[in-house]
Amino acid sequence: MASGALISFTLDILCAVVALLTSYYAYRVNRLVTNQVVGAISLGFMLLGIGLAVDASTTLFSGKTLVESFSDRILVLFASFTYLTVQMVAYLVIAIGYASAAYGSRPKAAAPAVLAGAAAVGLYRFSLLSYFVALILLAFIVFQGLLLHSGQSNRFSATVLLAFGLILVAHVVLLASVLTLGPLLFLTGTGIQFLGFLSLLIFVVRSEVVGPK
Amino acid sequence: MAQSEKQRSVLRINLDILNAVRDEGDAKPTHILYKANLSHERLVRYLDDLTEKGLIEVKQDGENRTYNLTTKGVSFLIEMRRAESFVQGFGLAI
Repeated sequence: MASGALISFTLDILCAVVALLTSYYAYRVNRLVTNQVVGAISLGFMLLGIGLAVDASTTLFSGKTLVESFSDRILVLFASFTYLTVQMVAYLVIAIGYASAAYGSRPKAAAPAVLAGAAAVGLYRFSLLSYFVALILLAFIVFQGLLLHSGQSNRFSATVLLAFGLILVAHVVLLASVLTLGPLLFLTGTGIQFLGFLSLLIFVVRSEVVGPK
Repeated sequence: MAQSEKQRSVLRINLDILNAVRDEGDAKPTHILYKANLSHERLVRYLDDLTEKGLIEVKQDGENRTYNLTTKGVSFLIEMRRAESFVQGFGLAI
């Protein structure tokens, strides 16, 4: 396996673990507090974790990163397509959760519209579209996060905002890597995304070790 | 909208009561009532419910009635504190 693919696999699998861990904690919290946004976060991060695990597995078995495998075998294309779709849906679920918290309604038509728009195009175009849509959704999540935080900021909220901010920057770089087909840029984007998930892990651990007031 | 401007959720009220009981130790209803900002009628209802769930216990000494957290209540408060930290991280409130 090429070193680029190995780095991509390692970072993706670590991000998948953090995403699934966040999903589990959100699920546990939701059982206690029953909050719509927490439910969306749980589902969104579960999808994201699965998507990242699929991407990591594809990289492991093909020995190539997503950017390197645009002209590759059908299985790799299918796996990459699955990852990009799941990633887009995951961010959409989280964004809908935040939107419902901010505006009190669910933009129900958004999910099918995004998927319908993405259907029936090649992997290259689809990945461009997917990263672009993920970028828009992440920008929306960060914006809504900022709005909600402005009301009640605390030591935990800054870490979560930093995490989403880094994942947003990562998607800018990943979109640029798909546009330029640059493997190094793709690895840089994956690295920044990993830093985002690392911030999320720090938040999850810090919120878990907190004791009684 | 800030939490104080909204109507408190049942969970928030229960947490306020449990925190008041924990802070006081052998907490008298009047102290809990003051700290949890509830009417007497509503407080009695919530205290009965929390006692039934085994989160607090009543100590009756003549005419004096005091409340304490049970072990289950302490564990519940710790779990809720973690949940609150998690939820706050995403800019939300219980």
